[in-house]
Amino acid sequence: MIVFDNVWFSYGEREVLRGISFKADFNERIAILGESGGGKTTLLKLILGLIKPDKGRIFIDEVDITELSEEELIPIRRKFSIVFQEGALFDSLPVKENVAFFMRELYKIPDEEIYLKVSQLLQRVGVADAENLMPEELSGGMHRRVAIARALSVGKTKMFLYDEPTAGLDPINSQRIISLIEELANKEGIGFIIITHIVYVAWQLCERFIFLHDGKLIFDGSKKELIKTKIPALKEFIKELLFKVTESE
Amino acid sequence: MKIEQKLKLAIAYLQDFYILCFNSIFRIFRKPLYLDDILEQMEYAGASSVFIVSVVCLFVGMALSLQLTAELSGLGLKIYTGKIVGIAVIREIGPLVTALVFIGRVGAGQTAEIGSMILGHQIDTLRVYGIDPIKKVVIPRVLASVFMLPCLTIIGDLVCLLGGYYIAVFVSHQSGSFYWSSIIQELTFQNVFSGIVKPFIFGYFISCICCYFGFITYGGAKGLRVSTTKAVVTSIVVVIAMDFVLTRILLYILGFSV
Repeated sequence: MIVFDNVWFSYGEREVLRGISFKADFNERIAILGESGGGKTTLLKLILGLIKPDKGRIFIDEVDITELSEEELIPIRRKFSIVFQEGALFDSLPVKENVAFFMRELYKIPDEEIYLKVSQLLQRVGVADAENLMPEELSGGMHRRVAIARALSVGKTKMFLYDEPTAGLDPINSQRIISLIEELANKEGIGFIIITHIVYVAWQLCERFIFLHDGKLIFDGSKKELIKTKIPALKEFIKELLFKVTESE
Repeated sequence: MKIEQKLKLAIAYLQDFYILCFNSIFRIFRKPLYLDDILEQMEYAGASSVFIVSVVCLFVGMALSLQLTAELSGLGLKIYTGKIVGIAVIREIGPLVTALVFIGRVGAGQTAEIGSMILGHQIDTLRVYGIDPIKKVVIPRVLASVFMLPCLTIIGDLVCLLGGYYIAVFVSHQSGSFYWSSIIQELTFQNVFSGIVKPFIFGYFISCICCYFGFITYGGAKGLRVSTTKAVVTSIVVVIAMDFVLTRILLYILGFSV
């Protein structure tokens, strides 16, 4: 379980998160919504202990991670697989080496076994033909797929974290990524947190919605509660979604 | 921002820099050692820099020899050209010029590469899966710089002396064999030691400074430009200041009277 208890974070003098508190189970499908630059990615980094909060406590499986060292954080981070915005692939390595990277570094298994697993993973995410390409030769959608394959390569985790997985993608590629995320969650039976400013992506994938506005958590609820919200900032944020939902009804 | 806050920030940055310097030495002895990365960085910092170091040193050697010949000719002492070029290049100019070229070519590249890895969340990805970025990213670059800069300095010294030889023999019409013999006379332990110790220390600090500025990059392409510029400027100032301090210490240790 992830627990945020009154977490504050600022970049210099700019307060990004102000008193964030929530609880989340690993098997939940949660969307964290908010405008660009509203602290969503910061929240993800706090979950992983990549940055420390200015105030407040963060607990992962009842362990307070706010004061842990890098080494102590390793087992905590292993509970998650993350796909950063735009994939965060290593530019100097071809696709297959990107996917093989963590297997080679962490598990010391023979090369033949690694490359067999790499082929299987690339096939699973639908980019089997791209294994010898360099990251700069990939399209945006392929980038995210390879990043997902790499995240899967580290083995069984408790939760997937996706940072803007469809940002900058055309509708067809967005839909492919959405389907892939859903398929993985169903097959692996694990939950995920998805950070996005595209409400329709969150609507298709998630059961619970958290909305950040002006550094504060101002909404935490289900699909039903989301479309019935009376919060002006959230209503404005999801107006396109409300239009689509009422239209389909 | 208030002066007090600026001061606090500066101290925090300095503390982070010292921690990086410390870790880049002490974590070398912890497993794993990324040998492939070290060799790759050595190739980039060393072999790929030979041409540019040689070109710069050739012109510096020629200019130095030309200036000395012009001045010494008036005093009837131009036979000392080789001796003075030899001392100046081996002790001072070779290490300094090579370090400055190294900052521009290798140091700036290290900052830009690490900065781009920070902005692209590649360093975060390494940390998430338990790979120490100091071991994987910083140590290979520091080791490559520490061992390649002295090698480049030796090559730079040689090319500098060749440039000086060209001017002394073909422009100033001095004896080539006398030029070389007066240089060989200056290849004493004191002179060579003084010239070879500096590049090891320069290489270490250039790499630590450039890696550090890469790690504190933020703010997209503009931020990358700012951190690369800061890394290069800081490295140049530190190397020149350190050259003075090292020269003073080495002169004292090696028993030169000032």
